[in-house]
Amino acid sequence: MAGLPQKNFDRMIRLVLLLVFACCFTLATELAPIFASLQARSGAGGGPLLVLLGDSRRLFANQFFTMADVYFHSGYYPTIFDARKKEGPSHLDVASHEEAGGSKSKPEEPDDDDQFLGKPRDWIEQFGRNFFPTTHTHLAGVNAREIMPWLKLSAELDPKRIDTYVTAAYWLRTSLNKPEEAEEFLREGLRANPDSHEILLELGRVYFYSKKDSRVARNIWELALKKWLQQDEAKQNPDPHVREEILGELVRDDEQSGNLKQLLADLEELEKISPNKAGIDKYIQDVKAKLAH
Amino acid sequence: MNNVLALAGVVIKELYRRKDFYVLFVMTAVITMMLGSIKFFNDDRIVRYLKDGCLLLIWISSLVIAITTTARQIPAERESRTIFPLLAKPVSRAQLIVGKFLGCWLACGLALIVFYFFFGAITASREHAWSPGMYFQALWLHWICLGIVVALVLLGSVVFTAPSSNATICFIVVMGIMFCGRHLNGVAVHMGGLDGTIVYTIYYCIPHLEWYDVRDFVVHDWGLTGLIPWVAWAGATLYGLLYSVFLLGVTWLVFRRKTLTV
Repeated sequence: MAGLPQKNFDRMIRLVLLLVFACCFTLATELAPIFASLQARSGAGGGPLLVLLGDSRRLFANQFFTMADVYFHSGYYPTIFDARKKEGPSHLDVASHEEAGGSKSKPEEPDDDDQFLGKPRDWIEQFGRNFFPTTHTHLAGVNAREIMPWLKLSAELDPKRIDTYVTAAYWLRTSLNKPEEAEEFLREGLRANPDSHEILLELGRVYFYSKKDSRVARNIWELALKKWLQQDEAKQNPDPHVREEILGELVRDDEQSGNLKQLLADLEELEKISPNKAGIDKYIQDVKAKLAH
Repeated sequence: MNNVLALAGVVIKELYRRKDFYVLFVMTAVITMMLGSIKFFNDDRIVRYLKDGCLLLIWISSLVIAITTTARQIPAERESRTIFPLLAKPVSRAQLIVGKFLGCWLACGLALIVFYFFFGAITASREHAWSPGMYFQALWLHWICLGIVVALVLLGSVVFTAPSSNATICFIVVMGIMFCGRHLNGVAVHMGGLDGTIVYTIYYCIPHLEWYDVRDFVVHDWGLTGLIPWVAWAGATLYGLLYSVFLLGVTWLVFRRKTLTV
């Protein structure tokens, strides 16, 4: 090497570098498919967040769902230091499940029932309360769209978190009047959770209430009920409340279509699990009377 | 007073000559615009996540500017030995401290105006109802908070030997106060006994920087229904100014007998 003239030495270096680059290129063409197949096997394909966070993303998914609830309350939310009454579903969850029970939350109205702050302990705390929200309100109408980025992000991070899809679809369908987006998001959730009766229940609602397609809605609810029963047989402990909701929706469809025989059958199924047995029994007698005429 | 203003002027010039502010501003702007370019469920009127992200970046950037700019002031003067001709002008040690404080604080104020102008422009492009009163209150309280931080870092710069250790410690202290300061009394009550008394005493002693973080009001449009009570706003301003004066006083007490040779 020492005997080589400078010009030849430079040329040789360039050739060696070119050779190394060619080797890298060749290796890349060989290795890329191997890594792609490995990634597909581990099921880790997806956005940059998944690549960055790995499995720890599920922890963040819960946090982002909570952030949606924080936004739903316009920043009025307990921190880890504040005493909570009890652990339970967030208001977002509760709101999305209220429909079956028939009650509705009163948005933008103060709710003194859940004052986690309590009385101030000293003048500093009392004075400090001027600088953060201290009134319990809920986002109303189209303002509910502000929670959507967090729900989307939560679903991106943990596609197995079913509540995220159901809650987002509920708000998209009701307050935001976006049934197409709700359906698309639910189908995305269904691809990640093909056996979810909760997602199917909500998808049926999109068809029944927003798209006014009761035939498709009924088929989806029947599939949801089938999935629920399969999971029950397999001892997976599906939520009994969801079965009640599915049957409730089927009853509603029967009422709308005027199919009294089917209504009777669905009511009898509902009576077995409903806490309001007396009310349903009375309804069954009414339907039987109508059928007798 | 002229000496103080001259010293402050030098610090302000230093801010716009250095690259820190520009880098942080560009980073904030780029990240905010990237966040703004994302569309969720075909709805381009979703804005609160964008405001939240932008304000968080503004707070981080302003704290970085305040802490790093202040932390290097006195150590740099000592290291380059320019502090000797400066004190021989004659400029007293008290004037040096007040001049450095005023310069850093005003520089932070200028940076904040640019940041909040950008924030206002971004918000106005998406949201058609906004509250200038709330924006003013948020900017003002943020600036007062930075005043306390600047005074705290200035005290650190005469106590700790290296600017890096001072900046790190101050950053941890400031973050700790902002996240936990509000809850220390609750923690103290749960602890009880002597430990609880000590924690409660700390709670009363620390500067309550968390008061000045009113991002939730801005992000969630509470300003449209009502502003922060002006009495509370004035009280927080007075508290911030008094605490800054106290910290500057302690800084002077430490600095006046300090040997200046490195």
